Amino acid sequence: MSEPLDTRVDLGGIRLRNPVLTASGTFGYGNELAAFLDLSRIGGFVAKSLTLEPRAGNPPPRIAETPSGMLNAISLENVGVEAFIRDKLPALPEGVTVIASVFETEIERYAEVCKRLAGVPRVAGIEVNASCPHVKSGGIEFGQQPQVLAALVRATRRATPLPLLVKLSPNVTDIAAMARVCEGEGASGISLINAVQALDVDVETRRPVLSNLLGGLSGPAIRPIALRMVWQASRAVRIPVCGVGGIASAEDAVKFLLCGATAVQVGTANYLNPAVAGEIADGIAAYAARHGFRRVADLRGALELPSRLDP
Amino acid sequence: MGDFEIPRPIRVDGEVVENRAEGGENLRLRLRVPGWPGFLPGQFVMLSPGARTSVERTDPLLPRPMAIFRTHPEAGFALVEILYRRVGRGTRLLAETLAGQALRVVGPLGRPFPAPVPGERALLVAGGTGIASVYQLAARIQGLGRTEVLLGARTAADLMGEADFAALGVALRVATEDGSRGVRGLVTELLESALAEPGGARVYTCGPKPMMERVARLAAAGGRPCVVSLENHMACGFGVCLGCAAPLAAGGYALVCRDGPAFEAGAIAWEALP
Repeated sequence: MSEPLDTRVDLGGIRLRNPVLTASGTFGYGNELAAFLDLSRIGGFVAKSLTLEPRAGNPPPRIAETPSGMLNAISLENVGVEAFIRDKLPALPEGVTVIASVFETEIERYAEVCKRLAGVPRVAGIEVNASCPHVKSGGIEFGQQPQVLAALVRATRRATPLPLLVKLSPNVTDIAAMARVCEGEGASGISLINAVQALDVDVETRRPVLSNLLGGLSGPAIRPIALRMVWQASRAVRIPVCGVGGIASAEDAVKFLLCGATAVQVGTANYLNPAVAGEIADGIAAYAARHGFRRVADLRGALELPSRLDP
Repeated sequence: MGDFEIPRPIRVDGEVVENRAEGGENLRLRLRVPGWPGFLPGQFVMLSPGARTSVERTDPLLPRPMAIFRTHPEAGFALVEILYRRVGRGTRLLAETLAGQALRVVGPLGRPFPAPVPGERALLVAGGTGIASVYQLAARIQGLGRTEVLLGARTAADLMGEADFAALGVALRVATEDGSRGVRGLVTELLESALAEPGGARVYTCGPKPMMERVARLAAAGGRPCVVSLENHMACGFGVCLGCAAPLAAGGYALVCRDGPAFEAGAIAWEALP
């Protein structure tokens, strides 16, 4: 018990003080939750996804509660990359690791946003959100077609020297294949899963609950799906995996680490408890110490498998 | 909208002191909240849907925004009072919460009503659960100028907080749709006669969308400024879920939680508001 626990992890060249990040779109631009959470308690945060120009997003209703989860269809609402660099980043306290998230409707525009973020102080890495509908493919997500995903990763990889994470869509039949595409095109790591495409209706009004009809399902309801996909993806590639999907407690986060994730992102749970990411970081450290690990990084892939399933 | 020192919000478990039915589907909740930083009229809290139990519950998942009716500050804590209506899964669970149980509280949140102008005539028009949003405003501005409160409900049983407003000593008029309390009709009809009186006045309103939209039109037609306090579904309450977007007349959206809930009535694109 004499040696202090080492909580640091390396996520594809992004050095984190602990493996807990907050997920894009659930943590604003960082300062919105500062009243509730000391940002130095967490590994870092992934900012709200940025487009080249400011975007207004979908008309309401944009969210709806579902069993142990929620649907959202916010769309592209954000301040734009220039306002992020000019106004949002300088307002953040020192010592906070910031990962910028990028999404767009065309590959060239993704690359352009990445270029604008190159050399910007405070940006430790970029996460490319591959769940955006691809206009040229008739609205199918970039991350749903291997060749489009490959082109996206290639273009954004060329556009920035920063560590590049690719956030994968779960709306695919073979997540391992998508992970391999990212690795093959030089991604530094992958984050998964994004929200699961879903639908709910109000039977009294006979209308969809969201103005957009379809939305993304998040929250504890998707956690076992996310865990399965993280397991499959992390076994398919050598680049690090960041686990996302319904994580609401340290126990949830540890499951993702055991199944192969190097780090995790906390998303919808921030809405319920804006300090939860800090509590999860503390809880992971307590778990590691209790189970005799000297480094939190050693939890990665430490799942005990039944012998007949051993690789 | 005005300059004020907005209290820094906290996240804490509050203890239910009282949670009792008040007629119809209305209930009154009193919550002992340690470290409560105070609040300003128009602000709200997010409450966990039902009591926190030894096992973390995930269904229903999201906290519910609730107007702060009033508070009773004590040393080291405050009793925070909430008037609410049992309408859905979250509020049904809230109604089953017993004294001694805990609710997660995040707040106070949102921007308050603009600071009142001393000497100005104030017309507060509220209906349904919107009544809970204007009580503290009435308490704050009462005595600064002539303050008239107009409350509306479907029936006498649905009417919230009438006795509390009466105890403030404000001029109070009530309308119910079935005539079981006060004047039979809509609260907007009371506003029409109040606006017919000459002189300046500022209108404040909170309630169902059709009511607020009508109040905003009447105020505009009468050349009186109008402040609306919007109610909306939201997942967080502090500006990150972007779920509570309200369409603006100038284009784009404002967030009810962060930019409101109080807005100048003319800023809202009423036809695009669900």
